[in-house]
Amino acid sequence: MEQFIVNIIHRPEMVPEYAEKVTGQGKAEDIGRKALLTESLDIFKTQQQIAHQNGLKTTIQMTYASLFNAEAVALAKEHHEKYGDEIGLSLLGLPCEQFREKYKTKDFCIWMFSMEDKKAIVRDVFEKFHDAFGFYPESTGSYYMDAELINFVKAEYPSVKCAVATCWEEGPKAYHTCNNSWYTLMDGGPWAPWIPSKQNTHAPAANQAEDSGIVAIPHLSRDLLACYDGNGSNFGTHPQNVLRGMIYDTSTWEYPYLYNLIDQYRHLAKFNNGYAYNMMFVGPGWMNKMGRWEAPYELLKKSYEDGCAYYGKLKKEGKLTDMTMSEFADFYRQKKTYTEPECALWRDILYGSDKQLFWYCDPYKRVCVNMDQGGAIVDLRPYAAKLEWPVGIGTKHVQDASYPFLIQEKYRAGYFTHYAGEGTIRSAKVCHNGEEVDLCLCRTHAHFAQNGGERVLTLDPVDIEFSDVTVKIQTRIAFPEGTGQIRIERNVLSMSDPAAEVTINEYMVACYGTTEYPEDMTGLTLTVSAGEKSETIPYEYKCREASADGADSVSCTLPPIKTKVTMTCQGADKTGYVREGYAFSPMFTLGYTGKLHDKEAFVTWLNLERAD
Amino acid sequence: MAQSGKGRLNYRCPSCFMRDLDIDMFYDKDKNEYYCIRCQYRGGEDDVLAKNELARFRYGAMMRRFTDFEDFSGREDGKA
Repeated sequence: MEQFIVNIIHRPEMVPEYAEKVTGQGKAEDIGRKALLTESLDIFKTQQQIAHQNGLKTTIQMTYASLFNAEAVALAKEHHEKYGDEIGLSLLGLPCEQFREKYKTKDFCIWMFSMEDKKAIVRDVFEKFHDAFGFYPESTGSYYMDAELINFVKAEYPSVKCAVATCWEEGPKAYHTCNNSWYTLMDGGPWAPWIPSKQNTHAPAANQAEDSGIVAIPHLSRDLLACYDGNGSNFGTHPQNVLRGMIYDTSTWEYPYLYNLIDQYRHLAKFNNGYAYNMMFVGPGWMNKMGRWEAPYELLKKSYEDGCAYYGKLKKEGKLTDMTMSEFADFYRQKKTYTEPECALWRDILYGSDKQLFWYCDPYKRVCVNMDQGGAIVDLRPYAAKLEWPVGIGTKHVQDASYPFLIQEKYRAGYFTHYAGEGTIRSAKVCHNGEEVDLCLCRTHAHFAQNGGERVLTLDPVDIEFSDVTVKIQTRIAFPEGTGQIRIERNVLSMSDPAAEVTINEYMVACYGTTEYPEDMTGLTLTVSAGEKSETIPYEYKCREASADGADSVSCTLPPIKTKVTMTCQGADKTGYVREGYAFSPMFTLGYTGKLHDKEAFVTWLNLERAD
Repeated sequence: MAQSGKGRLNYRCPSCFMRDLDIDMFYDKDKNEYYCIRCQYRGGEDDVLAKNELARFRYGAMMRRFTDFEDFSGREDGKA
């Protein structure tokens, strides 16, 4: 039986993000204004009321500021008793007069503090929580929680079993949308709940030794196509975010997109052994009486009422189970194994295109396959490296918490580049008599299957039309569970001339980075190995190339992200090659060429591992 | 000329919105217009609302209710 779980979370944020800026326009900053505090608590009460009216339990994530407010504490206790709501503790909502006086800073994102301050703040808020409630919380969270922070929280407060730990693809795109003033740089994580590893929050634990001890949930359930291309804060299970994206009819105030988004998440149960998940977490600043941008308060409130009503309806129909965060953590640990991947075959539900993506996430990699580009891999994060990446003041990455990519088609061009150079992509070119066609230009769709220990994506066949022969090719992409491997098969189903021969060039153009801007590729090493022989190119931007007939493997080692990526091949007349890039194209290429005839297959493997 | 402020509602610049930028506009009461401090857009409330409608051009399936997430047999916009 399929099970669709929802976590609904509210936080009494006494100084809501946005609210001070919005309501206080034209006034000097005063985060202790009585009107602001009163309105903030009213919004929290409204949100709680709406959820309860629809028969939904919530997780109340107390903020530091709210722990100083007797009414907020009393409300949480009352709702815990009456509705079964969980009382948790958020590391969002730190700003208040008491916090600023104590820590002498306006910083408010827990992952950006120094480790020393993180420890002090965690102890402060957890003890304050204990003083208010007489117990320690079982759930916590922030927009992002780095591994060092999670490890500390778990060690100090072992009662914590669940945390909001990242916001999917909230990174440079969100930064840009906020006029380069919103520093939540955390691309490259899972979109659905996972068990973070002790080494890196984004990368799921592969085993008990790596288990951080908590179940992480994403901040919102976000559109896996729209958020990858556009501003993530418009396309999630956050009704007011949908309004922010202007995805509603202004005359009727209808927004079917919100329900499509929830329903597509429900559909993901098909790919995940019958389980699907949603999270809704609307901060009180989004239900401000002053309205939010062009949306008046009435519309903000209506959208939240409609969102809760839809979840409530699904619950009444037996199609949804509402849980608190700690209940969900227990459920998740019963349901999932460490190596079981999260899979999402996702279609466009907003723009009216037929685009389809497949997202795959396990302890070794996060992958995006784009069917609109013939099944090319357009995003690849090598979790196998379990890269240690401390963030916050005093580290190399004060704000940048993203997990590095090898491939990112939006930040590193993908198939199409201007004038010169190459973009990151994993695709194949088919060649015949001087003509060349890249599968990136063959739009298609895919079907998912789970065959034993493999998740397999089978694409609808595509036709490659050359001037004198047409080749029908079908791509299959397999993800063996518990490995860092991806197997890609190209099967020739038919040729208009059965005697024809074509050349295939399986290639991966890659680099590393977390943002739109290039990194120094010096120090990378490219290797072609064939039997006892191997040829190595240390990356120096010299545009060099090496190849070997019958190569056993081609690889690149990337010390800055402690990752080694290797391609191997099973195919006729195979030749492996590596290519160094140059300054205007700071990429490397791994590839295999070979011959293909009618009814033949060309199979390559991509393998990801930690370099040291 | 007096300083600008916020209008009745807190409109964003429709031109910047179309390039994925959320920029609050400010209201010039002398000219009865909103203006963007990042780009060169300026306009009255009616123009802002009209341009916001225009910004929705990209959401071709905004009002469609999907019932199947793997069936591509018909274009969602009804076109062939």
